[in-house]
Amino acid sequence: MPAPQPSATAFFYRNFRWLRFVDRFGRRGQSVVEYVGGLTQLAGQTIVGAVSRPFYASELLHQMDEIGVKSVSITGITALFTGMVLALQTAYSLAAFGGKLFVGRVVSLSLVRELGPVLTALMVGGRVGSGITAELGSMTVTEQVDALRAMAISPVRRLVVPRVLATLFMMPVLAALADVLGILGGLGIAIVELQMTTQDYLTSIWNQLQISDIMSGLAKTFFFGFEIALIGCWNGLRTEGGAAAVGIATTRTVVFASICVLISDFFLTKLFLSL
Amino acid sequence: MSTPAPSARDRGAALPGGETVVQFLDVWKRYGAREILAGVNLSVFRGEVLCILGPSGTGKSVALRHINGLTKPDSGDVRVFGESVVPLSEEALSPIRRRLAMLFQGGALFDSMNVEQNIAFPLKEHTQKTPKEIAELVAEKLQLVGLPGTQKKMPSELSGGMKKRIALARSIALEPEIILYDEPTTGLDPLTSEKIAQLIVDINLRIRTTSVVVTHDIVAARTVADRLAFLHQGRFQFVGTFDEAARGAHPVLSEYFRSMGFPCGTGAFPAVGGGT
Repeated sequence: MPAPQPSATAFFYRNFRWLRFVDRFGRRGQSVVEYVGGLTQLAGQTIVGAVSRPFYASELLHQMDEIGVKSVSITGITALFTGMVLALQTAYSLAAFGGKLFVGRVVSLSLVRELGPVLTALMVGGRVGSGITAELGSMTVTEQVDALRAMAISPVRRLVVPRVLATLFMMPVLAALADVLGILGGLGIAIVELQMTTQDYLTSIWNQLQISDIMSGLAKTFFFGFEIALIGCWNGLRTEGGAAAVGIATTRTVVFASICVLISDFFLTKLFLSL
Repeated sequence: MSTPAPSARDRGAALPGGETVVQFLDVWKRYGAREILAGVNLSVFRGEVLCILGPSGTGKSVALRHINGLTKPDSGDVRVFGESVVPLSEEALSPIRRRLAMLFQGGALFDSMNVEQNIAFPLKEHTQKTPKEIAELVAEKLQLVGLPGTQKKMPSELSGGMKKRIALARSIALEPEIILYDEPTTGLDPLTSEKIAQLIVDINLRIRTTSVVVTHDIVAARTVADRLAFLHQGRFQFVGTFDEAARGAHPVLSEYFRSMGFPCGTGAFPAVGGGT
């Protein structure tokens, strides 16, 4: 009996091992393209859902409380201690140049332009992004999302839009609060450790800080909020399997959201500086 | 001992040849390398209870999910109320989905809502009823599924059987024309399974729905089914009444019956309500 002819794929695999790497690379690339494509599609559906009926106002308010109000403590503590550390480090590193005089300026500018928005986004990404993925992921694997679809209710409108809008609205508020608390943290160190007066500290801030600094910092947070919530929702909705899959999706959200925040921060900073 | 459920003829169910409300036309579906549905053809008639029977993992639930468009076929057509659901977007499916309801295997109750909010949810979304009217309807549906007074309980406080009954109450809140049941008795003890099966029959009678029940539970199928459709190797190998199946009308189905402890053609089936 004649031996069966090997398939073309098997022949190439046996003779050209490098093709396996190409194949693996191609599959990886395909999954990245599918992920980004799905995320982009969800972004479009979310924007459409945000500007057309039906609206879920009570769900939006609920999410603003869950996402915004309940994040105040974590973002506030982060900003407070960052402001304190900045004040200490500035005074220490600029001691030879009379660093005390610059403490207020450095703390306020660093916080308002960069650290306030970015640290707030990273904290929110960790707390809120992971929470959204865990919630939607467990809803997906227990068929609650399918139950919504079966009831002719759009999961995007009912679940995604309120979470994205709530994050979008609450991020600037949290970042503004972080700016204020960070500056107050710096003030505390300036008074206690550096023996500065409140007036000196605040005057240096007042003389240095521009409205444009504050606005460019807060404007970034809209983008960060959108990215975090969208990634959280998308990873949750595409969860397949059981509890382990929810855990993996949650971790993925924290990693992706953090990376996206840091990368987009660079481009947004470039953009705002050129305006 | 429980009273046997009325037969299909007693219930006045539409017999084959009545109005077709769901139709599978040469439906194919593949997951990875595995062919789940391989050219499925089936018609469901208005008013009947059709049981899709088969071993676990044969694609019964996948077939069911094609009816309300939760899953789309790779090829072929699925018609519901005469309209093809395959090309329809999520938005365009809404009018059809409002006329259907689905009972999921685990109940799929919303964790964050209590029983009342779960049942009221579709009513709030799709009707203009006042909160008082909705509360009355919720109480009525809870009465129908035999769980009055459980409005304020959270899903985490309910047993598996209670969850399914609450999910059933939510499914019938809008009085759908077709109810899709995905393994309604799986994971339940024989007594609770029997209660759920009787409930399916009762609901079919009271709100005059068409029901498609996916199950591998032959006892439940015997209680509820006007017709059986046996899914095996991606196709419906047998479609007919329970009695025809029990007489050994199809060798693979007879084998399945035997594997579940029901020897075909011997008349040795246990009475309705007996355990598996």
